[in-house]
Amino acid sequence: MTALLEVEGLSVAFRTRRGVVQALSQASVAVQPGQLLLVVGESGSGKTVLAHTMLRLLPRNVDVSGSVRLGGQELLDLPPGVLRRLRGRRMALIPQSPASSLNPVRRLGGQLLEAAQARGLTKQQARTRLRELLDEVGLDLDVVGGRYVHQLSGGMQQRIVNAMALVGAPDVVIADEPTSGLDADLVDTTAAQLRAISARGAALVVITHDLRLAQRLGGRLALLYASRIVEVGPTAAFFAAPAHPYGRELLRALPEREGKSIPGMSPQLTALPGHCAFADRCPDRFDRCTQTVPDLYPLPGGGLARCFAHAER
Amino acid sequence: MSASSGTLSASLRARGRLWQRLTDAVGRWPASVRVAAGVLVALVAAALLASIVAPLDNTAVDLDRVLEGPSAAHLMGTDEVGRDLLTRVLHGARISLTIAAAAALAAVAAGTLVGVLAGTLGGRIDAVLMRVTDVFASQNHFLFGVLLLVLFRPALGGAGAVMLAVGLTHWPSLARIVRGELMSLRERPFVAAAVGGGANRRRLVRRHYLPHLLPAVGLAFVLTVPHAIFHESAYSFLGLGLPAHQASLGNILADGQRSLLAGGWWIALFPGLAMLAAAMTTGTIAEYWREHLHPRWRSELEL
Repeated sequence: MTALLEVEGLSVAFRTRRGVVQALSQASVAVQPGQLLLVVGESGSGKTVLAHTMLRLLPRNVDVSGSVRLGGQELLDLPPGVLRRLRGRRMALIPQSPASSLNPVRRLGGQLLEAAQARGLTKQQARTRLRELLDEVGLDLDVVGGRYVHQLSGGMQQRIVNAMALVGAPDVVIADEPTSGLDADLVDTTAAQLRAISARGAALVVITHDLRLAQRLGGRLALLYASRIVEVGPTAAFFAAPAHPYGRELLRALPEREGKSIPGMSPQLTALPGHCAFADRCPDRFDRCTQTVPDLYPLPGGGLARCFAHAER
Repeated sequence: MSASSGTLSASLRARGRLWQRLTDAVGRWPASVRVAAGVLVALVAAALLASIVAPLDNTAVDLDRVLEGPSAAHLMGTDEVGRDLLTRVLHGARISLTIAAAAALAAVAAGTLVGVLAGTLGGRIDAVLMRVTDVFASQNHFLFGVLLLVLFRPALGGAGAVMLAVGLTHWPSLARIVRGELMSLRERPFVAAAVGGGANRRRLVRRHYLPHLLPAVGLAFVLTVPHAIFHESAYSFLGLGLPAHQASLGNILADGQRSLLAGGWWIALFPGLAMLAAAMTTGTIAEYWREHLHPRWRSELEL
């Protein structure tokens, strides 16, 4: 079965003055329509790079290998013009921090209409569609349309960028850190809005380091550590019993669990070790862990974990 | 019937709101800006309506009334061939202001174009455009203008050549400002969001870059106008601008310099004052606008 969005063996490296930054190594994930995929990891683990590579929003100094397929079509070889028509129509991005992702010097109505028209709608269609989308989240186009972004609250800004992403009725929606900078009570609202998006039948990819949001959203979860996916599986299974030691330590670090932080630091992306990147911090490491990088081994619950502890099964 | 009266009252209401906003804005201006705006509006109006305000012919020679001081018949006196000075100053102001505004517009358009191209395309195009900018900026801009005048005056005539000379020598600083502004704009998240939403380069420039550049570009225009007035006057004074018989503030000043030795102080004084008034009022408004764009400065000063 081919998935709607399929990422396979994706590696992304940035050539910088400090050397080559390996942001993503051999990442493979897939999402079906109406499904939810959470990409979780600490900052610098490669989750935003994964999201941006799906849309190919990348700077010039980048080397990409592997494959990103949307409905069977390879996106990494597409010419920019074709890709541009895909963005917003088939794949939409809900950007990180809505406040700075909206143009501060233009009224929101113009920006919303423009986004809709960029996705091929006529002015009339755009207006009707935006009115519907905003109505659903309790906003009035005529009222917010005349405002500037700084005149809205954080929650309203979030709803605006959500509407902007949905206006082209995309098949895949990618939300980049939807709860960064939001109050705790807004996290619930955001989770509800995201669930509503995937209920429309779109495949939803949520990039987050907010484990509480992840737990609320459910679906499947991919855990990233130092540019590699270390665990994939159902979100509920992860929170019940994480298979990778990093996941275990991460959950123990939550204040409502043990609040015990993981000793050590994650490795520099310019000098990733030739063995398991978590080995130096791992409480249960073997000799093999400091010799080679483990593969993703299948778990009994249907997931995968990049840890030799699961190699024997 | 009700529909048409509805549209009418709606348009009246819209006009009322616009007027309200205008008066509100004027109400917030400091006294100096209000005076400057008033003087500038009066000056521009008098220059535009020169033939109505001063009905005498600005080229009519009256050799019986040569070099007369200000009087009831000739409020600013007459020049060395008996032409009415008030009439000439008003016509001169019209030409000088028009040339200055057109030259400033040309300079601002060129600077914005170069800056936007360099800032959005980047790479080699940026490097080449910036070196060209350096070449233009490293010349003495007045002498470079003289060179352009000599080259283009035969083809374009005095007024056109002055516009070109001033326009082509005053864009480099704006080009640098625009490019710098774009460099930081390009990294803003809303640009990435727009690209992620399918925006192409033209849409980015039109919808996201230009609205951000508008204040800086507008300010550059207003600051260039008084400067361009001086340039026009200086070139005409040197005999490189408009033909000597045509009234421009610079030409009248050049006449005035000769008449000064014959005791005709008024011929240099009045066009000088008109030039000063135009330059000072636009300068005052530009200065206020610049402060207005950076309200933070003020709150810091008021600590």
